[in-house]
Amino acid sequence: MLSNEELQKITVNKAIDARGTACPGPLLAAKRAIGEINSNEILEILSADEGTKKDIPKWANKKKHNYLGCIEESGYFRLFLKKL
Amino acid sequence: MAKMVIGMYSGGIDRLTAAGFVTGGGAALDMDIEIFVLFMAARSFIKDTAETNTELSETPKFKDQFFSGLNKYQVKKWYDFFNEAKELTNVKIHICGLAGKLWGGEKIKDFIEIADDICGTTEYVNAATNADLHLFI
Repeated sequence: MLSNEELQKITVNKAIDARGTACPGPLLAAKRAIGEINSNEILEILSADEGTKKDIPKWANKKKHNYLGCIEESGYFRLFLKKL
Repeated sequence: MAKMVIGMYSGGIDRLTAAGFVTGGGAALDMDIEIFVLFMAARSFIKDTAETNTELSETPKFKDQFFSGLNKYQVKKWYDFFNEAKELTNVKIHICGLAGKLWGGEKIKDFIEIADDICGTTEYVNAATNADLHLFI
């Protein structure tokens, strides 16, 4: 897990905005997007769904990706993971 | 690959939406998913009925609040959950032959397009026996 400061500086290869979708929308959007990046690249997911904060790390762990952490913004979350 | 089987008995939008929601979770995990549409649910899979049915399986007194919440949070229609899952993983939707007949559905063309085929109970029981996760909704 990276600190907020480290996450703020990270270079994102692909970002998806899933703030308009309810669970499991952000998770499924992440699943689609992870197929569009290469190994060791970073995916950022924007979600306004509280459950996604727990879903994404569990999913990443299950799929052997590296969950890097989450930044809480006003009304939404920025979740980061590295494709392995 | 892990396998999930859902025995979809209920035809109310509440339970169908819940089943779609769970199917989405299974799709995220790349599970193989088989959904067996049984008695009351078969009615909801009939063409035309799928769009017009607004019945709940439980607590109808909360119907307005339920649909208001679905709209507020832009929750997908139950069949769109299944459709999206089909795009992401291996999902098969089987209609129970007897259940279909109860509601006038004799052929697969009588049901909405997400339905794959018509089957018998042995196929359901066999799939459930071999599943890693079996849900009856």
